[in-house]
Amino acid sequence: METVLSVLEEVAARPLAYARQWKEATGRKVIGLFPMHFPGELAHAAGGLPIILQEDDEPITIGQSNVFNFYCGYNRSIIDQALRGEFAVLDAILFGDHCVQLLGTADVIRANVPQLPILFNQLCSILDAEWAMRETQGTFRRLWHELEVLIGHPIDEGRVRESIRLFNRNRSLIRQLYDLRRAGRISLTGRQMQAVVKSSMVMDKAEHCALLEQLMAQLKARPPAPGVRVFLSGHLCHAPKLAVLDLVEECGGIVVDDDLYHGFRFIFADIDETAPPVDALAEWYLSRSKKVPCPTRAVKDLDWEDYLLKAVQASGAQGLIVLLAKFCEPHMYFYPEIKAAFEKRGIPHLMIETEHEEMPIEALKTRLETFMEIARRRAAA
Amino acid sequence: MMQHIATQGPSASPIFGNGERANRLKSTKFGGRLVNDYWDNLFSAREQGKMVVWYNGTYIPPFFHAHDLAWVHGEAWSAYLAAKHGEIPAQKAGEQWGYDRELCSYARTHIGQALIDLQKLNDGTLGIAPDDPRAETMRKLPAPDMIINAYPYCSSGQQWDDITYRLFGKKVPMFTISIPLLWGGRTDAGYLRGDEWNERSRYVADQLMAMTRFIEEHSGRKYDFDRLSEVMSYVKRAAELRLEAMDLCTTTPSPASFFDWIVSIAPVNFLPGDQNLVTYFEGVKAEIQQRIASGEGAVKDEKYRLFFDGMMNWNKVGWLADKFAAVNACVVAGRYTHMSFWQEPQLIDLKDPVLGMAQNYLICPNNHGAPIMIGEIEKICEKFNVNGMVMHASRTCRGMTNSQFLIADSAKRNGRQALFFEGDVADESFYKDELLNTRLEAMIESMDAQRRAA
Ligand code: SF4
Ligand code: SF4
Repeated sequence: METVLSVLEEVAARPLAYARQWKEATGRKVIGLFPMHFPGELAHAAGGLPIILQEDDEPITIGQSNVFNFYCGYNRSIIDQALRGEFAVLDAILFGDHCVQLLGTADVIRANVPQLPILFNQLCSILDAEWAMRETQGTFRRLWHELEVLIGHPIDEGRVRESIRLFNRNRSLIRQLYDLRRAGRISLTGRQMQAVVKSSMVMDKAEHCALLEQLMAQLKARPPAPGVRVFLSGHLCHAPKLAVLDLVEECGGIVVDDDLYHGFRFIFADIDETAPPVDALAEWYLSRSKKVPCPTRAVKDLDWEDYLLKAVQASGAQGLIVLLAKFCEPHMYFYPEIKAAFEKRGIPHLMIETEHEEMPIEALKTRLETFMEIARRRAAA
Repeated sequence: MMQHIATQGPSASPIFGNGERANRLKSTKFGGRLVNDYWDNLFSAREQGKMVVWYNGTYIPPFFHAHDLAWVHGEAWSAYLAAKHGEIPAQKAGEQWGYDRELCSYARTHIGQALIDLQKLNDGTLGIAPDDPRAETMRKLPAPDMIINAYPYCSSGQQWDDITYRLFGKKVPMFTISIPLLWGGRTDAGYLRGDEWNERSRYVADQLMAMTRFIEEHSGRKYDFDRLSEVMSYVKRAAELRLEAMDLCTTTPSPASFFDWIVSIAPVNFLPGDQNLVTYFEGVKAEIQQRIASGEGAVKDEKYRLFFDGMMNWNKVGWLADKFAAVNACVVAGRYTHMSFWQEPQLIDLKDPVLGMAQNYLICPNNHGAPIMIGEIEKICEKFNVNGMVMHASRTCRGMTNSQFLIADSAKRNGRQALFFEGDVADESFYKDELLNTRLEAMIESMDAQRRAA
């Protein structure tokens, strides 16, 4: 188990190094994707390696001349990596999201790395609009065609179905880990769970599935040590710093569930394997937010806080920790409602704003310890 | 405390420069009257038996006007509060509810004000001292019967309305229009051309038609497209006059400045489309022609011509106008003023205006990917003979700060100086006067040096 996890951890820590090796070994194209809603299935069916571009830990240096310091760490890091030449391994970037900051980032990359094609297919962000299905299908059809032009050969529908099946299998394996963890039967730490999901965003899916199957076989039923059961929420686009996840556990917490993008948000929804692929992809995209609401999409009758209240209860968590990436506007808009809902129900919650740069770990420790104490007392009461 | 804030406007003139103040157009005063009339009318909309639409984003009021609805533009309301230095209680209310100050300050102000209003509804009080001069205004904003969002480019605008919808208990019907970015990645892409342009134009036009059906449904009345054409005839004429008047400012010294055009945004952006609009821009154009005839400039002894990039800093309009005037610099054009608001009126076919309206909404300056947007900025700088660019890095408006480094780079490549200064759309606390002073001084020196070398 330790060896499988260490492989996943290594890929998660150095995703571009993995992509370079893969490319060398296969001679095929590596396609970068921006988070959070674009399906990698099409790029995979085209024979490429879709990898979700990740924030790295390097301090922003050269990127400073191209991005303001009031942009989220993900955007600043992506721009910095692009300017440092890290994206040389990429053959294209697929980009379909709608967060205003990402739009600027895409333009900076286009200006500074002009030889790198950026296929932009904006997804309809109003998921309950009467034209949403039609528009989304059109978007995926266009993308399909553009990928064919990029790759230089047609993408067979059968291949897309195969990719969908493979991706579903990958997601369902990770979901099994989530189920076991929620049920208290295994004790994967926050750090380990992140390695599982983040490596899935990067690795060849067949290879990743094989590793996950090994991991499942080796996993021993091992209930976690006693502690405060917590649910982690938020942190869009980039993975929370491992030091922060470790600290939650050091202060007496056990992470039992989450809706992090580098977590459950990434793997909770499957794509229909029987429907025509474009329809299935569109249906997947449009219905995702119904299960785990995303603050970057608009759906009238869905509320993040309602989902969170239910999910926290279902996981048996005793408290909610909201991880908010500094300067992430979509998250900032919806945080007050979450706060109000949890206050109203008397469920302990703590908001931690995270930064790309060093975090004030000592101050954070005190806040986390207090939070655990409150959660413990409330649970006992 | 509240009283103190209410009277604490910015002092009249900055101490930097030769003390000259901007020579503002007199004709824009009429616009001030129109704006006041608009708000007064709005505040009495309920008494007039009108339904009220709250909307955000692009200039869709002709659709409301043609249907006899009253409308509140979220950004205009925030800017109005900021320009009157009445934004602080609203921003405080937003902060108390949990909003971070890094969130779009237009949204924070608008939502904060709605929170105050809702509180007032709930407990019959008004959160600020009853004798506060601002109380009167704030008490009057009518709650929405419909919410419509039509934001180009910026996702923040859409989320903002989503929150408004939730604040009103999800009971007010809401309609959201996607105005998608024109990325311009295909080989045939260009300004107003290419497959993407044609396809997206129709997409937005279809959504606007769906919006008229939404309006019909929630007002119980049939939508009158003839009336829309009539309203648009005024808007189109006003837009043409505005562009003609702007073109006259290629003259040296420039008879009007960016700040006069800022003051003229309300008319093209959200005032009712009637004869008054036409009269307003006829007046502006006539005054500009008169100034050209007499050689009168917007800035005394104009020595430098600048371009203003970024969202306006609504707390500082007069302040900034005077600051540049005091160093003989005329800000002759800007991205916000010269590239938005019905800037391609010829696209509007009065017999069937919806497609042309959709196209004007699509070409909001940010809504183009950087290469096309920057190409258009370059053209304006050439046309107005610009020597330098002033980049307002508006802290909480990523919609306008995106690509600013690329714009500054292109300016430098074209031999123009560029300076950045920090501020914000409606949150005064981000503005740093000393920084602007130092950087402006340095830019003036460089422009002088450049001239001496030439
Ligand atoms: S959604 Fe948030 S984290 Fe993602 S790019 Fe936008 S601001 Fe950054
Ligand atoms: S960030 Fe700027 S463009 Fe976006 S909603 Fe706010 S004011 Fe508008």
